[in-house]
Amino acid sequence: MRLLLVDDEKEFVATLAERLSLRGIEADWVTSAKDAEKIIKTEHYDLVLLDVKMPQVGGRELKKIIEKKIPGIKTIYLTGHGSEEDYQAGSAEAEYYLMKPININDLIEKINDALGKK
Amino acid sequence: MSNRIDPLGEAGLQFYSKVSASISHEIKNSLAVINESAGYLEDVTLMAKKGMNVDMDRLQSLAETMLKQVQRTNAIIKNMNRLAHSLDDPESQIDLNALLELMINLSERTTVTRGFKVFAALSDTAVTITTHPFFLENLIWLILDFAMNVTGDAKNIELKPAKAEPGATISFTGLEKLTQSEFNIFLTQRVHLMLAALNCTLQADENKGMITLNLPENITQPAS
Repeated sequence: MRLLLVDDEKEFVATLAERLSLRGIEADWVTSAKDAEKIIKTEHYDLVLLDVKMPQVGGRELKKIIEKKIPGIKTIYLTGHGSEEDYQAGSAEAEYYLMKPININDLIEKINDALGKK
Repeated sequence: MSNRIDPLGEAGLQFYSKVSASISHEIKNSLAVINESAGYLEDVTLMAKKGMNVDMDRLQSLAETMLKQVQRTNAIIKNMNRLAHSLDDPESQIDLNALLELMINLSERTTVTRGFKVFAALSDTAVTITTHPFFLENLIWLILDFAMNVTGDAKNIELKPAKAEPGATISFTGLEKLTQSEFNIFLTQRVHLMLAALNCTLQADENKGMITLNLPENITQPAS
């Protein structure tokens, strides 16, 4: 299982990746859509965890870009606090739509569940 | 329905709601960082109890991260509090430097998400006027929202307060794609009502890519 985490909050995404790694889950991280586009050119991932609200290119737009490169990749959205409209649209597009702060055990359960759907 | 709603009241509530949503998003982001840092501390504590080595430098950096996030959240809440108190008095004496600084902080998440950089060229001395702070903040928010549609490729907007005789001005520059016709579309009934409530005027200069807000020294007097 290999994950890519994309969130403009560097300290959040880096620490989350470390905590996943301690649990045996390999997770790379980047802080922008631009860097995500770059890394998926050379690396393969089973699931992406995307922050919905990021500068310039948000998670929902980035999901479409990643799917073109890695068809069938699973997605979990993360957000600070979105509108009801965001939640409805995001829930329909991704496997899960989670609100920050997250519980790591819940996240791992959702990751396993999403990948089990394959 | 709309006939029964005061347009200025509605605009004010929309502004306040948008800022509140943005602030809650920022606070949740900060809490998420603290949550992961605390979670990591919990993880390494468990590892240490099992006899594994702990990287003390990493622990120190986690503590620094958490302290930084507490300061960040404190600043966000201070700004929220300042905005809330701007409704206390319909007329109060304000320094435009401080008000613009507040507006840049409050709008930062929105402007950065849209890929813009808004900064203030603040004056060395206080630019003081007596006005309705909340309406002025609301008007600046609307002008910024419009300005983001007419900037150049650099996507930079500069806000500058200045003294004028007898009042003050706030200029918005970097609006390279500004046209008079688009500016006229921006001047909705709501904006006109806000300008009237603040007793001020708004001008666009296509050639300079600039909008200027002319404010009276006192809200009870018209702008020059």
